[in-house]
Parts: sequence; C-alpha cells; structure tokens
Amino acid sequence: MRRTFPSGRSFALAAIGALLVLIDAVAAFATPVKQAPWHPVAAAYRTSLFLAGLSPVSWHAVTAAWIEANPGAAFDKPALDLLNASPGGNKASDAIRAALEARERQAVFAAVTRAVADLLLERLGAARSALEDGDASSAIAEARELYRAFEDGIAAADPEASRRLGLAWLTLNSSAGSRGLLGAGARPADAARFEEALATVSEYIAANFDPETFTPRERMAPLPETVVAAGGEVAVPPVLPPAARMADQEPLPRLVLNFEEQGIDETDLPLVAFGDMLFDSAQIFGDPARSLGIACSTCHNRSDVNRDLFIPGISHQPGAVDVDSALFNHVSNDLRDDPIDIPSLRGVRYTAPYGRDGRFASLRDFSRNVIVGEFGGSEPTPFMLDALVAYMLEFDFLPNSKLGSGGLLTDSASPAARRGEALFRRPFAQMDGRACASCHVPSSNFLDRQAHDIGSVSAAYAGAQSGALDTPTLLGARFTAPYFHDGSLPTLASVVDWFDDRYELGMTEGERSDLTAYLEAVGDADEPYEPFDEYNTPFKLAFEELTTFASTLDLLIPRRDAEHASLLIDTVAADLAADASAMSNLEAKSDVYALATILAEVGEAISAADWTAAEARWSEFKETQADVAERMF
Amino acid sequence: MPCLPVPRRSVLIGLGASLISDRVLAQDGAGLTLAFIPQENPDKLLGDIETITAWLSERMGIPVEGFVTFDHAAAVEALRNGDADISFMGALPFVLAESEIGAEPLLSEVYRGRPTYRGRVFVRRDSGIATLADLRGRSIAFADPISESGYLFPLDEFVQAGLITDAGEAESFFGEVFFAGGYQQAMQAMVGGLVDAAAASQYADLLLTPNQQAEVIWIAESEPIPSHVVIARPGLDPAIKERFTETMLALNEPENRALLAYVYGPDGYTPADAAAFDGVREIARRYGFLS
Repeated sequence: MRRTFPSGRSFALAAIGALLVLIDAVAAFATPVKQAPWHPVAAAYRTSLFLAGLSPVSWHAVTAAWIEANPGAAFDKPALDLLNASPGGNKASDAIRAALEARERQAVFAAVTRAVADLLLERLGAARSALEDGDASSAIAEARELYRAFEDGIAAADPEASRRLGLAWLTLNSSAGSRGLLGAGARPADAARFEEALATVSEYIAANFDPETFTPRERMAPLPETVVAAGGEVAVPPVLPPAARMADQEPLPRLVLNFEEQGIDETDLPLVAFGDMLFDSAQIFGDPARSLGIACSTCHNRSDVNRDLFIPGISHQPGAVDVDSALFNHVSNDLRDDPIDIPSLRGVRYTAPYGRDGRFASLRDFSRNVIVGEFGGSEPTPFMLDALVAYMLEFDFLPNSKLGSGGLLTDSASPAARRGEALFRRPFAQMDGRACASCHVPSSNFLDRQAHDIGSVSAAYAGAQSGALDTPTLLGARFTAPYFHDGSLPTLASVVDWFDDRYELGMTEGERSDLTAYLEAVGDADEPYEPFDEYNTPFKLAFEELTTFASTLDLLIPRRDAEHASLLIDTVAADLAADASAMSNLEAKSDVYALATILAEVGEAISAADWTAAEARWSEFKETQADVAERMF
Repeated sequence: MPCLPVPRRSVLIGLGASLISDRVLAQDGAGLTLAFIPQENPDKLLGDIETITAWLSERMGIPVEGFVTFDHAAAVEALRNGDADISFMGALPFVLAESEIGAEPLLSEVYRGRPTYRGRVFVRRDSGIATLADLRGRSIAFADPISESGYLFPLDEFVQAGLITDAGEAESFFGEVFFAGGYQQAMQAMVGGLVDAAAASQYADLLLTPNQQAEVIWIAESEPIPSHVVIARPGLDPAIKERFTETMLALNEPENRALLAYVYGPDGYTPADAAAFDGVREIARRYGFLS
C-alpha cells in the first residue's frame, strides 16, 4: 500500500508508519530512494513534462499521464477527473486536451503548468474561505502538495524565492489556527498573517506558473517564468517522474560469488573488490544516470535482474528499459522505442556473446559500451575495465539441487519434470529436426552461444533479417519472469505454449505441463533470495559491502593512485552515509556518519596530494570500523 | 465539553451490495462497525477499509463495516451514540474519548517492537545547537498543535528543563514558533534551513532522504508516548470485543501481515494497557486538554 505523508490533523499515524518511503527532495541523490506518493495532478504534471522532454515524444504516453491513474500518485484517480471536479477545472482540462491533440510541446507545457497553478490557487482560496471555521488546514495541505510540482524548479532557478515561499507555507499553516481536539486546545486563526503569506505564495505562483504567456521552453522543467524570461541559465538537477521505481527489487536476489562460496574473502581480492565497487557506482556513468544514482546494480540487482525497475517513457513494463533512448545519452539515442527485458548476469562468464542479439563477443567491450555509449560516462581506464570484468566473472548461477552435472535432473526433481526432460530432448520435425535441448544445451548451462531467429521478433521493416537473438540460459529462469527479449511472455508455461503454437508441435496438455515442470525445475534455486533476519539486515549487507570496497584503499594508497582512490571514495562515502537510513539499530547511525566523514577526509587528503594524511586517516577509518562494527548491527 | 455533531460527512463502506442490511445487522448487535479517522485521501482510505473489513468479517463470522469520519470528534460521537463500535485513534484523542464517553483501549499499534515512541527535538548537525537552552530566541517548527510527539511532549521537555513554565511562554522563549502541518513538513523546514529546530516523532528523520538524514541530529527526546490505539465504545458486548481483539492480533501472523498496510500500516498489534496512558493523561491535563 502506498501512503501519503502527513497532512492536516492526521500527521501522527502517517509519519510513524511510513518509515521507508522517502520524499524526493530538491536535489538529486546518489542513492535511489522511493518517492513519497504525489498528488495525482502534480504526478500527472511531472510525468507529462518528463515524457514531453524525451525525443521522440510518445504523445500517447503523455496523454495517458492525464487520463489514467498514476502509479506514483497517492490515490488512484485520473488527474483530469480531479481537475474536472474542481471549481473552474473544466477550462484547464479542455486546454490540456486541446494541447495534447495538437501534439505541441510548448502548448502542452503551458496548459499543464497553468492547470496545476490554477488548482493550487483555487485550493488556497478554499483555505481562505475555511479560515473562519478553523478548517483551512486540509486545503492548505493540498495546495502544498500541488506546490511540490514546481518546488525543485523554483529552488534551482530562484533560491531566494524558494526560501521566501517556504516560510510563507509555514506561516500559512501556523496562522490557520487549529480546531483543537474534541473542543479542547483550539487555537484561533491569525487572519492578517494568513493573508500576507497567502499573497506571497499566490502572487509568485500566478506570475511564474500562470503568466499571460510562457517564454518558449527548450527544457520541459518547472522553471519560474520570470527567471526563464530573463534568460537566466539554470542548472536543474535531473529527476524522474513520480511512477519511476529504481530501488532494489523486493525480495532482494541472492548474490552467488564463486570466490565467496569457496570461503575466500573479497578483501583479499582487491581487483575484484574494486570491480564490485564499480558495479555499484553511479560515478562511472554520465548525467543524468550519475545524479539519479543509477549503477550497473540498479538494473542487475545482485548480478540478477531488478524486476521492479520502472522508468516511465523508457520502460514499457517493470523490469524492462530502453537504454539507448533519449534519457541517458542523447548522442546514442537510436530514436527507436525498443525497451528490452533486463537480462540476468548470473554465470555471465558462460553466456558470451553479449547483448540480446549477441553483438559483443567480449564482456569487456560490452561493459565499455554500457558505460560510455549507453550511459554517457567518461572512457573507463584499463584498470576499471579489468576490475569490472574480474568481478562479473565471479557471478555464479544459483545452486539448484534439482540439477546435477551435465545439466541432468537429479532424483529430487518431480516425476512431471522428469517426463518434461525427455520432451525437452525430443527432436521435432517442425523445428528442423531440433529439440529444445539443441539450443538450450543442458551440458552447456542450457545455452549454445549462438543467435537464432525463432520468430519472436517483429520485423522492424519489410524484409528485415534482424530477428536473431542470443540463446538465453534457462538456469535461474524461475526468478527472471517475464520472458523473451521484450518480456512479452509472463510465465514459463506461456513460453511452452508459444513454442507449441508457433511451431505447431501438437503437444498434449499433459506434455505442455510436463515441459513447464521441467523448465521450472531447471530454472529453480535452493535459495533464490537473500535470507534476511534480525542479524543479517539490509543495512549489514550494505555496510559490509561498502567497507569491503573501501578495503581496496590498501592497494590504491600505497600505489598513490589518486584517480581510482577518489572514484572509490566518491562512491563509498556518500553511500555509507545514505545506507545508515536502513539501519535497524538507529542509535548507531552516528557511528556510520563518523565513518563516512573519515572516509571523505581520506578523499580530501588524496585530492590535496597529501598521502601522509591520507594514510593516517585511512588507518583511523580501519580502527574506527573495527571498534564500531559489532555494535551497529 | 460541548456536544459533538453527528458526522454528516461520514462515508459508509460495507460488504457486498447489502449495505443497509449489514448496517442494520451491526446496529442490532450481530455485527461490528469501525470508524476510521482520515489521515490521507478518503478515496484511498475507503479502498483500504473495504479490504480490512472484508477480512475481519470473514474471520469473525459476522458482518463488519467501516466508515470514514470527518475527524476525531465525529469518531467519538459515533462511539457515544452507537453508530460505531470501534475506532482507531491517537493516544491524546483516546484519553479525551475515555474521559468524555468512557471509551476503552483494546489494542496498541507496535512499531519497531514497541507500543510506544518518543518525541524528539531535531536540529541540523552543523547548526552548533547542542541543548534546548541553545534554542532561546531561535525558530522552531512543531508538527501540529494537537500532536503528542510533534508538540506537546517535546514542548514539555522545555518545561522540564526549566526554560519555560507553560505553553504560553513558548512564544517568548523562541524567536518564532511555527506549526508546519506534520512531521515531514517540520523536518523539511529544519533541514532546509527555514527554521532552527523541528519537533517530531523519533522516527521523523526517516522521512528525509538518506543524505538529509546524515545532516540531522536530535538534542532532546521525550518520555515514551503510547502509539496509536484501537478503542471500543462503552457497553460493547465483551464477547465481541474479545473476538475482535483476537482477530486483530492474528494480523501479527506472517500470513496476515500484508493486511496491516490496510489499517494505517503498523508493524503489528499488542493488547492495550490502559495504565500506559497515564503520561498522556497527565500531559493532557497540564496543557488544557483535560480538566
């Protein structure tokens, strides 16, 4: 269930309960956080601006933002319905519809911006009307929720106004008085203060978000008109729309690292540990990915898939993303709306070639393309690529006691799965005499390292010969639904049905069921998710990971490798502090902040080329870490 | 205390299509009616109520219905006149309802293993403010004038510290006093530098972004405050009360925990201890909510 944040009288319950849903604040952050739900009209506004800022614009999606309920909103009501239900809202609604039909960005910007501004001003008017009854707080709270649509734009472009308006909102709420509780504790309104604050907010909103005309906008950002008209340069932190979800998948996939399973400590493998850090670092990408906190692990959670990841406009469904779209690197925008289902990287050393169509023979080349081409990062150093590849080569498949060597089922598999195993190996004339096992070779991790056109890709143009895709492994497949490159098939059963239909295999219902049971057995795992408990908490996992990353300073400081040490510290110090928010033992948060501060000081010393100080602070970090490690869990 | 109006803006939610018959059944004592205080958009709350009342009804074997009241006063009035049997409430409104109509606490919400929480006074880490006395002449954002953890209990810490004698002196002690409208608004105002301090629940820093959390410390905290409570009207059939309490405690079981999200989202429930509210009763008397 999503929860709104406190408003009016109801603050107490909401704030106690809503511990893990965090509001996005004015600036962008290195660590993705869940956004607090938005007012549906503000959610539609932010979504439509984001989508209208992409190229090419999906007008269908922009329209949907207004006529359909927004998943990032506090409640399921289409924004246009809410507008229509508000006094004078029909006019705003008609203007939005007309602009959407005209498919004109500037007109859409003007119409949607005015709609939010008008509703905000209407709510403030309602608050004024309710002031005498001591009942203005709910209208003020709603107006404030609508103001959130403009808040980061104002903060970026007009900081002085942002502060003035912030105080005005505080004053509005304070001067509205309180009806008290069951007749006791009432506080009278202060009409003069209320009017003054209301004028401050209203006049600014009217002048900047509901002016006579809007200056043509290059960027679809909620910037105040007076600043834009004056031609001021404004650096707006990148933001994602309300329905975006970049937090880790729940439940969190279990990470199986080959060295770890053999009892080798990652701190003894500095190249791997540095690669592990890079895999979690947004610093290796360019903006907006960097500011948005997007790292390799954002999509490939724990070497697997983040099935919850969703970014409106570039994800057609959760777990899919179009990385070469307008969002991340405009230079490599392929102008094609072709999101793909995120593939798992488990066992990646066995799954070459890389890319859904197998276009990269080497993992190193593929990784470099992701960093530079897809996410606009700077050219990685050879050491970075060595480290990243070294780390990824440790990704193992999930242990599965239903499978033995050679990819054969063990006795723990069900009879149905065993019948399915025979079917899997049965050649079909309709498939050129091949069996499922011909491509998904059981003794080769259920793949053949080749690309095949099985008819699953719609032709991009008449006569296109571009439907061949790399054979995916079936290992761990139970946990990576949906299936196919575009995630079009929701279950393994639907995959079986697809092959049966496409190739007219004529399987009986029982055979399809057996084959599905086989795929489920092959794709199963003994422990697919990270087993959290009171001791092994998400914070402990993150803390130990980050301190492991930091341990590579033992390699980098003696080498006087400022470039890679700084990259490490930029990633780890911020994430260390951020991860403290997930601590169970809240009282130990300050210990984590102290560690983050010491690490940042190591970074400062390195930046100043003061290696003696860096060594001293690094030693202090390790001593402090040893001192506090146990008590913080 | 003044007589409270009947909740004209209440919205009834029942099971299936027979809303009227369910309601009659409930009033006849064969069912149960729950009053919910709106803490967020009523449209959303109605959907939550539908889910939880359906589960309670199935589990208890009697019709269970719920409605959203306009506010605490309307909920208490509904309990008084029998329009509602059960209501969900904060600790302060509960002790007032107890005094007004003899309402009885049945269950307390549990957060992070406890049926209590504390109010805290937060400041920015770099502010140089270390004690409550440092806030003399500075600005503070309280959550709301009727908030236990976001106003009354933190304010009482200033009284206990001998800095003020009562709420009336707060205006002269501080440079400026705001009521921000909620924990989050108060915390945002503080972390954003609009005010010097914020008074809010001990967990309110978790409403900030992870980076903002690192910028905040607390300098004082209150005594434990009972968390929100599920209360019954006086005279409700003891057998129904017992069955309802048992059923609600079943929400603690792993297979039912997802349903907690539909009743304001606590971590669980525990039987309420009426004595645990003594501190709230005392604060309510001291700050003029109870005579």
